[in-house]
Amino acid sequence: MNDGPLIVQSDKTLLLEVDHPAARDCRAAIAPFAELERSPEHVHTYRVTPLALWNARAAGHDAEQVVDALVRFSRYPVPHALLVDVADTMDRFGRLTLANNPVHGLVLTTSDRAVLEEVVRSKRVAPMLGQRIDDDTVVVHPSERGRLKQALLKIGWPAEDLAGYVDGQAHPIELAEEGWSLRDYQREAVDGFWSGGSGVVVLPCGAGKTLVGAAAMAEARATTLILVTNTVAGRQWKRELIARTSLTEEEIGEYSGERKEIRPVTIATYQVITTRRKGEYRHLDLFDAQDWGLIVYDEVHLLPAPIFRLTADLQSRRRLGLTATLVREDGREDDVFSLIGPKRYDAPWRDIESQGYIAPAECIEVRVSLDDEERMTYAVAEPEERYRIAATASSKLPVIRRVLERHPGEQKLVIGAYLDQLEELGTALDAPVIQGSTTNREREKLFDAFRAGDIRTLVVSKVANFSIDLPEAAVAVQVSGTFGSRQEEAQRLGRVLRPKADGRQAHFYTVVSRDTLDAEYAAHRQRFLAEQGYAYTIVDADDLAGPGEVNGPDRVDEPAD
Amino acid sequence: MERMPADSPVTLSAWLRTRSDEQLGALLAARPDVARPAPSDVVALASRLAVPVSVDRALDELDAGTLQVLDAVLLADTDGVDPADLVGALPELPDAVREAAVERLTTRALLWGDDRLRAPEPVRRAVRHPAGLGRRAAELRLSLPADLAAAVGELPADERDVLQRLAGDRPVGHLPETPNGSPSPARRLLQRGLLARVDALTVELPREVGLLLRGDRPHGPPRLQPEPAVVSRDPAVLDRQAAGAALESVGRVGELLGLLEDEPAGLLRSGGIGVRDQKRLARALHVTEPEAAWLLELASVAGLLDVGGPHRDEWLPTRAFDLWREQDLPDRWATLAAGWLDAVRLPSLAGQRDVSGKAVNALSPDLVRHTAPAVRRAALDALAGYPPGSGPAPDDLVELLRWRSPRRADRLAPVPDVLAEAARLGVVVGGVLSTAGRGLLAGGPDGAADGMRGLLPEPVDHVLAQPDLSLVAPGPLVAELADTLAVVADVESSGGATVYRVSDGSVRRALDAGWSATDLHEFLARASRTPVPQALDYLVDDVARQHGRLRVGAIESYVRSDDHGLLSQVLGDRRTAAAELRRLAPGVLVSGLGADEVLTVLREAGYAPAGESPGGAVLTRPPARPRAAGRRPGAPGPVAPRPLTPDELAATVREVRAGDAALSARRTEPVRQVPGVTTAGTLELLSRAVREGTPVWLGYVDAQGSGSQRVVRPVSLAGGFLQGYDDRRGEARTFAVHRITSVALVEEEAPAAEDRWTP
Repeated sequence: MNDGPLIVQSDKTLLLEVDHPAARDCRAAIAPFAELERSPEHVHTYRVTPLALWNARAAGHDAEQVVDALVRFSRYPVPHALLVDVADTMDRFGRLTLANNPVHGLVLTTSDRAVLEEVVRSKRVAPMLGQRIDDDTVVVHPSERGRLKQALLKIGWPAEDLAGYVDGQAHPIELAEEGWSLRDYQREAVDGFWSGGSGVVVLPCGAGKTLVGAAAMAEARATTLILVTNTVAGRQWKRELIARTSLTEEEIGEYSGERKEIRPVTIATYQVITTRRKGEYRHLDLFDAQDWGLIVYDEVHLLPAPIFRLTADLQSRRRLGLTATLVREDGREDDVFSLIGPKRYDAPWRDIESQGYIAPAECIEVRVSLDDEERMTYAVAEPEERYRIAATASSKLPVIRRVLERHPGEQKLVIGAYLDQLEELGTALDAPVIQGSTTNREREKLFDAFRAGDIRTLVVSKVANFSIDLPEAAVAVQVSGTFGSRQEEAQRLGRVLRPKADGRQAHFYTVVSRDTLDAEYAAHRQRFLAEQGYAYTIVDADDLAGPGEVNGPDRVDEPAD
Repeated sequence: MERMPADSPVTLSAWLRTRSDEQLGALLAARPDVARPAPSDVVALASRLAVPVSVDRALDELDAGTLQVLDAVLLADTDGVDPADLVGALPELPDAVREAAVERLTTRALLWGDDRLRAPEPVRRAVRHPAGLGRRAAELRLSLPADLAAAVGELPADERDVLQRLAGDRPVGHLPETPNGSPSPARRLLQRGLLARVDALTVELPREVGLLLRGDRPHGPPRLQPEPAVVSRDPAVLDRQAAGAALESVGRVGELLGLLEDEPAGLLRSGGIGVRDQKRLARALHVTEPEAAWLLELASVAGLLDVGGPHRDEWLPTRAFDLWREQDLPDRWATLAAGWLDAVRLPSLAGQRDVSGKAVNALSPDLVRHTAPAVRRAALDALAGYPPGSGPAPDDLVELLRWRSPRRADRLAPVPDVLAEAARLGVVVGGVLSTAGRGLLAGGPDGAADGMRGLLPEPVDHVLAQPDLSLVAPGPLVAELADTLAVVADVESSGGATVYRVSDGSVRRALDAGWSATDLHEFLARASRTPVPQALDYLVDDVARQHGRLRVGAIESYVRSDDHGLLSQVLGDRRTAAAELRRLAPGVLVSGLGADEVLTVLREAGYAPAGESPGGAVLTRPPARPRAAGRRPGAPGPVAPRPLTPDELAATVREVRAGDAALSARRTEPVRQVPGVTTAGTLELLSRAVREGTPVWLGYVDAQGSGSQRVVRPVSLAGGFLQGYDDRRGEARTFAVHRITSVALVEEEAPAAEDRWTP
C-alpha cells in the first residue's frame, strides 16, 4: 500500500493531507488540473472539474500526467472509472481549434469531423459561425470569438484558442525594482499568466496584487487599460504604478466620474463604464480609444454583467484578472474563466502568511445576547427586516467599545453595512465615518490621517471593502454585513492582512447577535474563513477578556518585562 | 482398411466396456449429467449418454475446431471413419489439433471406436446441419437430376445466388411470399427439384448440391482458435486499479443500503423498485440512475437487500447486511463479487425496454436469466486463459467466446455488459482479469478476498476535525465509528476517505438521538486525532443550550400522587420493577406499559392505586432498525451444480464396473420380490448361499433410492440383514433384506470376464 498524502474521492474531490512530507510535491503536481476548494488546517480539498482539466490541457499537460499524478500520490487505489473519465474529459479538448487563416481570417478547424458536425448543428453555436470552407473548417465572426468559446465550453467541446493576441500599441514600461523586488509567488503568478496568455491570478488581500499587475504590464510593454472598482482604488493603483514602475504621472490617465483622461495607461472604474444615459452605455468607446495591449481587471469577482458582455468582444487582447477570491455570490465563476481566462495562479493564504508576506490574523467572533426588548422586536419583525434588526442591535455597542479597548495603541477599523448604525457608532466612539456620500477628497484626507496615526479609529461602510490600502490597520471590527457574503468577508479580512512594520498580529472581530439571523450569516462567512485556513474562536461577549487578562491580547503598547 | 479386428467392439456399450477406469472417469467428469445418480452399469450409462438433452449439452461445450472435426466424421460417406482419413477432409488442420479434437470427442463419447470413429445416432440427430450442409436428397425425399453439375451450371444467376446463399452456413431458408407474377427464384428451384420443401415456409438445400457448390473444400478453412492481440499491463498497477474499483463498489453499496435503512424503497406490484425511489437514491449517492440500478442489483444478488417490512412491501437491507458491514473490506468485496458471479440476473437489462416498450425496473423478476452465470463464467474463464496481467482486447473476447462455444453464440449478447460490470467491481480492469478476479474464479469468495487482501486500505478508527467544522475520515472507518458519525454529522464526500460536516442540524439530530453535549464533546475528542476546534465545541454547546428546552413525548401510563414520599417508595420498591416506572417530575412517575399492567403490578405489590383517565409515557428506546429476513446468512444462493470430485468420479466408475460385472455374471433364475416384502423364496436362496458359501447376484435399492446390481459373497443372514463381501467393490457390506429386489445364485466356476463378454 502506498502511503501518499492524497485521497481521491468518488466525487472527484482530492483530499490533501498537508502535514504529510510529500504534501508540497503533491500540491505542485495536482495544482495544474485541480481547483483548490478549501484549505483548512489539516486537510485541503481540491476539485477536479472538466474546466480545470481543459485548462491543464491548454497549459500543455496531458491525461497521462494527470493520471500519473493521481496514482502516484494517492494513498488508496484510485477508481479506474475516475481515471477513465479524466482521460475522456481531457480528450475532448483540442478537437476544435480557433486559428487565424491567412485567407479567411478567424476560423474554427477540427481534427474530428463528427465533432464539428455536432457543433455546427448546435442551436447555441450555429449563429456565431459563418461560411463553411471545407469539411474541417468553418469561418468564425471575429466579434464572436469570446462568446463562441463560452458556448463551446457549455456544450462540452472546448476549443483550443491558437488565434493569438494582438500586441497592441507598444509603450515602454519597466519595473523600478529599487530597494524592493518582486516576491517569488508574484513572479510565479506573472509567469503563469504570461505563458497562458490570459487568465486570473488569485492572491489574498495584501499579498500585492497590484505588483502582479505592474509586472504583467512590464512584460507586455504596451498600452494598458486597468479597470478598478472605484476612484480611490484607482488612485491607489496610480500611486503604486508611479512608485514601482518607470511610468510617470503624465503617462497614467484617470477615467472616472470626475475626469476623463485617456493616456497610454488608463485606469477606469467599473461604474463609469457601466453608466448609462438614455439606455445606452456612454463610455464603451473607451475600449476602442487605444489599441490596448493588456487589459487588467482588478477585483475580477466583482465584474458587473455588462462588462462581461464587453469582455466577450475583447478576446484578441490579453486580459489579466486579479482577485482575492473567485467566489462569486452569483455563481458566475465559469463566465470569469471563459471570458477573462482560466485561473493561472492560486496559493493558499496560509502559505503566503507563513512566508511573512501577509500578517498573521486572529479571527474572533463575539456573540452578544440581545436584551429582552430587542429579542421581542426581533421575534415579531417582518422576515426582511430581521437581519437589519439583529445586526444593528444597540446591545452591540458596549461590546464594540470593549473590543476596541483591548487594542488601545493600534489602528482600528469598524466596518458595517447600515448607515444609521455607522453614524451612531461614529458618535458613540468619537470616530470619523466614511461612507458612500463622503467625497473622494474627504476620504483621502481621512485615510492619510489614519495612515499617519493621527486618527486611531475609523468607522467605514462597505465602500472600504475593497482596494484601499491602509497598511497600519491591525484591528478590524465587523458589526454588520451584506448577509452571508463570503467575498465580503475575505475583503474585510484583507484590510488588516497587510504586513505590519513590526510583524504584529492582526485581529479580526465579528460582533454578532446570538440566536438570530446575524449569527447564521456569520456562520456562513466564517466557514469561508476556516476554509481559507483561518481558525477562528467564538467567545461570549461576557467572557471577552481585556488587555493583559487571561486569554486577552498582550499589552502591545507597553514594553514586556 | 476394411479389416476389422475380430474383437473390435461393435456397440457403444461394448466400446465403453473396453475403456480404462481413467477414461470412464474422464467421460463422467466431462459429462457430469450422466454420472448422477451413478448409472448401475455400462448399458445404463450408454442409454444415458444417448439422451438428447445430454448430447446437446455436451455439444454446446465444444469449440468450433472440435465441432468441425465432428462434422467431418458425420459427413463421411461411411459410418465409421478411420481417424487417418480425416486428414483428407481437413487437410490444413495441424495433426496435433486434429488428434486433440478426436480425443476430446471420444472422451465425451460423442464419437466412439478406436480404429474407426463412429458417431452415435443421437449425436447425428443433434448436429442437424453438419458443416452447415443440409440432409441428403434421399432423406429429403428428393430425386436430384442425374447430372447435377450440369443442371446447376445452367441455372440463371438469381437462382444460383439463392443456392450459393444456402450453401453457406445455413442450408435452411425462408420461402419469400410470392408476389403476383413470376415465381421467385426459390420457387423455381423447388420446381426444378434442386431445393426441398421442409414445410410451407421453409426450404432446405440437399447436401449433394451444397457439396457441389462448395467444391473440393466442403469444410472450408480450418477453424483454428483465434489468437487476438494480447494486451499486457503491469499486474501491480492492474491490481491497484482493481482495488480502486472494489473500494468504490463496497463503499457505494454500503451507502446505498444505509439510505434504504433510513427510508426503505417501495416494492412495485410487478416486483421491482420504483423509478422514483431509484432517482432518489441516485441523487443521494451522486450517481447516474443506471449506476444506482446496478448498485441495487449488486446489493440484491449479494443477499444484502431484499423485500421485507411489516407488510413485505419494502426493499430493506437484510440481516446479512449487519454481518457484512462488520467484515473487513476484502471479505465485503468478495461477498459482492461472488454474489454477482453466480447471480441468475442480468443487471444490465434494468432500464431497457421490453417487447411491449416498457422499461424494466431494477430488482424486478424480469431481469432473471438462467444462463447468466454460465455466460459470466465463460467470459471470465476465457480471460483466465491468459497469463496474469494480459488479456485480449474487449471486442476480440466475444470472437474468442464464439469460437469456444459456437453453439451458444446466441447467449453472448450480454458479454460486453458483463465485462463492464466486472470492471465496475474490479474483477476485470481494462479487459484483463485482476488477481482477485482470478481468485474469485478459482477459489470462490475466499479466493476473491485473498486476491484483494493487502490492496484495500485498513479501516481507520479516527477522524481529523477541522476548523471549518468538517471531519475527515482518512480511510474507510470501522463500522462502529461510521455508525456514530452518521448520527453526529452529514456525509459531504465519500470514496477512499469520507468527509463529514457537523452542522447545527446534525448536532440537533444527535441530541435528538439521546446524546448529551458532554457525550458529544467526549466523542469528538476521542474520535479526532487533531485537537477539536473551539468553534466545533462551541457549536455543540450552542445547539445543546437550545435543545430540549421544551419536551414533548407520548406516554402509555403514569402514576401520580401528591405524596412524594409514597412515589419514592413505589419507585424504590423492588416488587414494582415490572411496572418499568420512572420519575418524570416530582409527583409524577411514568411507565412504558399500559395503565392496566401498571395497576396490576402496583396492586400485587400491595399498594392501592386508582386508575385515572389515560395518560402517557416517554419513549426511551429508539426503534429497532428495520430488517428484511432475507436469506439465512451463509446459506448459499442458487448456484451452478458442483463439479464432481476425483473421489466421487472414482467411486462412480467403480459402481458402473461392479454393476456391469453383476450383469455379466451367469446366474440362476432370479427370485424377484417387491421391495419391502420379503418372500420366502428370497430368504431361502439367501440362506442357501450363506450355507454353501456361493456368491449371489443381488438387485438392491439403497436408502437413497438408487438401484444397483452386485455380486455378493454372503457371510451371514440374521435379523433381516444380510452380511456379505462384494468382490468388485472390495468392501464388506450389510444389506437390508427388505431392500433386495431380486436374488440369483451365481455359478462360480465361470468367473465374469468383461473383456470377452458380448451382449
